[in-house]
Amino acid sequence: MKALAIAGANLTRMGRDRLGLFFVVLLPIILVLYLGLQYGSSFSPKIGVHAEVPGVLGDQLIAGFGEIEPEAWGVVRFADEAALRDAVERGAVDAGLALPDRYDERVRAGETVEVEFLSPAGKVGIGIQETVRGIVAEQAARVRAARFAAAETGGSVGDQLAAVAEIEPTLPDLSVSTETAGSEIFPRELLGFALGAQSQLILFVFITSLTGATQLILTRTLGVSRRMLSTPTSSATILLGEALGRFGVAMIQALIIVIASALAFGVAWGDPLGTAAVVIAFSLVGAGAAMLIGAVASNPEQAGAIGLVGGLGFAAVGGCMVPPEVFPPIMQTISHFTPHAWAIDALRALAVHDANLFGVLPQVGVLAAFAAVLLGLATWRLRAALAG
Amino acid sequence: MTMPASGASPVLEARDLQKRFGDRVAVDGVGFTIAPGETYGLLGPNGAGKTTTISMICGILARDGGTVSVAGQPVDVGTPAAKATIGYVPQDLAIYPDLTARENLSFFARLYGLKRTDAKARIDDVLEVVGLADRAGDRTDQYSGGMKRRLNIAIGLLHRPQLLVLDEPTVGVDPQSRNAILESVEALGREGMAILYTTHYMEEAERLCHRVGIIDTGKIRAEGTRRELVAMVGQRDKVKLSATGDLGAAAQTLAREPGVADATANENGLELIVDDARGLLPRLLQAAADAGLTVSTVEVVEPDLEAVFLHLTGRALRD
Ligand SMILES: Nc1ncnc2c1ncn2[C@@H]1O[C@H](COP(=O)(O)OP(=O)(O)OP(=O)(O)O)[C@@H](O)[C@H]1O
Ligand SMILES: [Mg+2]
Repeated sequence: MKALAIAGANLTRMGRDRLGLFFVVLLPIILVLYLGLQYGSSFSPKIGVHAEVPGVLGDQLIAGFGEIEPEAWGVVRFADEAALRDAVERGAVDAGLALPDRYDERVRAGETVEVEFLSPAGKVGIGIQETVRGIVAEQAARVRAARFAAAETGGSVGDQLAAVAEIEPTLPDLSVSTETAGSEIFPRELLGFALGAQSQLILFVFITSLTGATQLILTRTLGVSRRMLSTPTSSATILLGEALGRFGVAMIQALIIVIASALAFGVAWGDPLGTAAVVIAFSLVGAGAAMLIGAVASNPEQAGAIGLVGGLGFAAVGGCMVPPEVFPPIMQTISHFTPHAWAIDALRALAVHDANLFGVLPQVGVLAAFAAVLLGLATWRLRAALAG
Repeated sequence: MTMPASGASPVLEARDLQKRFGDRVAVDGVGFTIAPGETYGLLGPNGAGKTTTISMICGILARDGGTVSVAGQPVDVGTPAAKATIGYVPQDLAIYPDLTARENLSFFARLYGLKRTDAKARIDDVLEVVGLADRAGDRTDQYSGGMKRRLNIAIGLLHRPQLLVLDEPTVGVDPQSRNAILESVEALGREGMAILYTTHYMEEAERLCHRVGIIDTGKIRAEGTRRELVAMVGQRDKVKLSATGDLGAAAQTLAREPGVADATANENGLELIVDDARGLLPRLLQAAADAGLTVSTVEVVEPDLEAVFLHLTGRALRD
């Protein structure tokens, strides 16, 4: 098929362009690696703790934060609860934990005690909250086991706790509950990374597509597109081939980002079909935008400039630079005039809310509409421009 | 240069082509035919409308009026199938600089619809024709200007077109490459290909073309063989003899020879205005000897298309 020959020539030429290869292949991998190191291992929150006479159990609980894998949390002790609250509000620590007075003593006495989790208003990471809950749950499980044993054997909870600690590795149900808390921490920890990878994906695929417009302009200005028109090839086939070329570049880059981040850092993108649909739809948007720039720009420098400024501008407004969750409502609305916001919505739904393909169909539909409008405009402008 | 067989139905028939860009009329009523094996030249200065005419003939540019048919099929922008009969060699170097010559050729071979196996053989053939076989694996941005021009032509030959259209194929090449290009065009013509050749070099038109159309400001001003064109504007050959002897008497004698329009003496010899210098020369030299002259050198100046163009438009071909 001739359109494939045209798309193939585009891809071959991209492969010959060192700078292009850097942007399409190397830079996204570098950024995924960078993000991976940022969130994947060295992201260690600081937790503020207030505990009056915590005793052995209280100390154990607090020490748990220093043993989190892969990176221990920082623990800052506060003398009184007000100081802790203040520190949390000011963001001096990422979260706070207040143990009730005489924690150890009251737990051993069999009392029901409540630990208080303090988070800065509205913006605590899900990961932090979940990790704290996991550590507390782990100790609670041991306490419950001891209570159960105490009730059965008539000993004290305190004695039974020591026994539980000794036999814990051999207790199947306990180790299961501990595991659950532990394994939940891992993907939650990496969620920040997943969000970052989503933004990178959208930002890069779009910018790369746009700068791909320069190839189309060269094809026009070199007179190659005129020459194509002199062969027994319809202009529709030529346009299809050029669009396929742009789409191919976008898809290659998207696949690199998705696969590299998933394999190297276990980023969970969510439902594969849904992710594929979003990536394909967004790559089509990129291809359409590239075709349009390729039709209206008069030289490669101009197209490069439009591509970079447009690519970064749309990314910023669309929520690729800062998480769209922190946008005020008016910005949320504005940002949905960009395809980026819709793509990020869909990727979030897939990764965070476990949506499947059907769940993201509305966003995919909007992206497809963006693509159709851009490709339509580009085709209309290019038909004349091809003849040079 | 032998004239192709007349009477065969023409490969190209272009009639009354019209094209305007906004207010500017680029082509206004251009039409001509080209027979198999005939090389037709479009000779005209920059902006005359050569490329615009060619673009309409090749179905690249939509025309405002007129008809084109090649090998009996109508050609227009929307008739891809008919374009398979035309080999178009554009004025710009329409090749990918970041691909090798072979890659460029196989790309266009696919667009011309050649099957993979045929394409391989044809690519080798055309590389041979333009003398690039040993550099076929090099990226074309490492080619010299002349090599790029030759590849540009090779692409247009891939599918064995019946009509080869060359738009100023020798612009910006060294004399050696230029000669190689002209030789391959001559060879293709001898094989029976119909060729449309545009140029603003009149020497090329004179050397290659059986017939020439002189185009200026979008119109064909005159058309015919070189001799017809020259005759059309009343231009005759000039013969300069450097000689010693009784120059005045000799001039009077020679002026009475048939075919001689005028003969004048000057300090070095004689200057004759004749109808066909090459045909008359032996008789003229004999007559000069009979008149007692000793001729040391002979110079024949044939009027050229440059002179014709000047006569037709009042302007020189190249500014
Ligand atoms: N796409 C276009 N838009 C506007 N004007 C054009 C266009 N193409 C050609 N023209 C004009 O039409 C006229 C004929 O141009 P054309 O390119 O056919 O000339 P040419 O004989 O090929 O000249 P050259 O020897 O410089 O190649 C010129 O005045 C040119 O400016
Ligand atoms: Mg031209």
